[in-house]
Amino acid sequence: MLKLIQLEWQKNNLSGYFKGLAICIAAIFAAVTLMALGSKGENEPMSYADFISLSGVLIRITYIIFSSVILSRLVIDEYKSSMIQVLFTYPLQRKKIIQAKLSIVFGFCFFSIIITTFLIHLLTYLLNPMIGLFDASIPVAAMMAAVPATVLNAFMMAGISLIPLSFGMRKKSAPSTITSAVIIGFLINASVSDGGSSSSLFQFIAIPIVLCLLGLILGYLAFYKVDRTDVA
Amino acid sequence: METMIQIHQVSKAFKGSETITNVNMNVNRGEIYGFLGPNGAGKTTIMKMILNLVKPSSGEIRVFDQPVLPTSVQYLKRIGSIIEYPVFYDRLTAEANLDLHCKYVGYHNKSAIKEALEIVGLHGVGKKKIHEFSLGMKQRLGIARAIVTKPDILILDEPINGLDPIGIKDIRELLLLFKKNYGTTILISSHIVSEIESVADTIGIIHQGQLLTEVKMEDIRGQHAGSLEAYFINLVHGGKRYA
Repeated sequence: MLKLIQLEWQKNNLSGYFKGLAICIAAIFAAVTLMALGSKGENEPMSYADFISLSGVLIRITYIIFSSVILSRLVIDEYKSSMIQVLFTYPLQRKKIIQAKLSIVFGFCFFSIIITTFLIHLLTYLLNPMIGLFDASIPVAAMMAAVPATVLNAFMMAGISLIPLSFGMRKKSAPSTITSAVIIGFLINASVSDGGSSSSLFQFIAIPIVLCLLGLILGYLAFYKVDRTDVA
Repeated sequence: METMIQIHQVSKAFKGSETITNVNMNVNRGEIYGFLGPNGAGKTTIMKMILNLVKPSSGEIRVFDQPVLPTSVQYLKRIGSIIEYPVFYDRLTAEANLDLHCKYVGYHNKSAIKEALEIVGLHGVGKKKIHEFSLGMKQRLGIARAIVTKPDILILDEPINGLDPIGIKDIRELLLLFKKNYGTTILISSHIVSEIESVADTIGIIHQGQLLTEVKMEDIRGQHAGSLEAYFINLVHGGKRYA
């Protein structure tokens, strides 16, 4: 299994995506920081909690889209170019092949969210004294307390990132995979506000859990009958 | 003689319409089996069924005297194949593509890749990326990929499409070389009758999903004044009238 993941990694040159990852981290941090700086002049400056929740929204939307790009490259494109035919003439269990591909997507989404969240917290903590984002210092205890929630969020988003697979596989189309990821990403992360308080679908814990399970089930359905179906 | 590929009463229906009907075929060890048929006769489908890419609706396929079940994969290790047009990872070089192939099959012989490229006349372009290749070069690379692991069975679907006359001659010699040196069993399909005629030991003629005949090349040479083409056209046209 590890060997299969390694081969997939090698042939799709996935290491190249680390550059994309770095750009995403920088862009998200820059965007949130600029918004925080911009809000300082207004009567309602951004608090640390707002800052973190905003960066969380951006991270989740970014990586569900990013994952769908990898998903379309690893799975959809391979079906479209009939490379999957060649892949299925190897002496390997077909389920394992698809499993390896989906684990890469899941793992990528999961670790990217964790790494990005961690780095943004770290950067904020280190740079706050210099650029003065917030008047009060950042409570380290609050940061630590957020760790379990971050891991849970990352896991749920990783599950959700598999949902676009079923849209993309219908017509073996990369655009529809990515479009569906954009729609899902915005739909569950967009927040609605009545002026005083705001909420988004992602905050009702049941919704991300259900969607995560749905993603995992769809991922499973994608390969459970791969042995029995024709590869046209 | 030992049978390497045995197809027994195999049928395949796609969405209700039958494309392959009760085909029986026997490919013996060490022979070149020429698979002839007009376009759309079902040649590719049968080859895909041998490779377990398409599952038969009924009937049985045995390869290396083992039945091919939906989950069988181990036997594929000993088969090299080209199905339809060859596809590769376009962003990788020819060598990298073959290297990946060897790793997936589990064949570890570093010099094999170079040898295979040399055999098909692609030495010197191993470091080129696939998207710079012409169709003929891809076809040659496809053959290189099929033979690189020295399989016991070669399944070649239209391997001479897009090749120049020299390429066609090269492939012909290559097939005979593999048969002689490694005792490879080769199943080759084509609609170019003269090519099959010059290399094959046994001919299978398929038309509208039915195997019309399976005949030794020697017999054709003896009985039909040596022309496979006349024999083929007569059979297919004859078949059409009764269909």
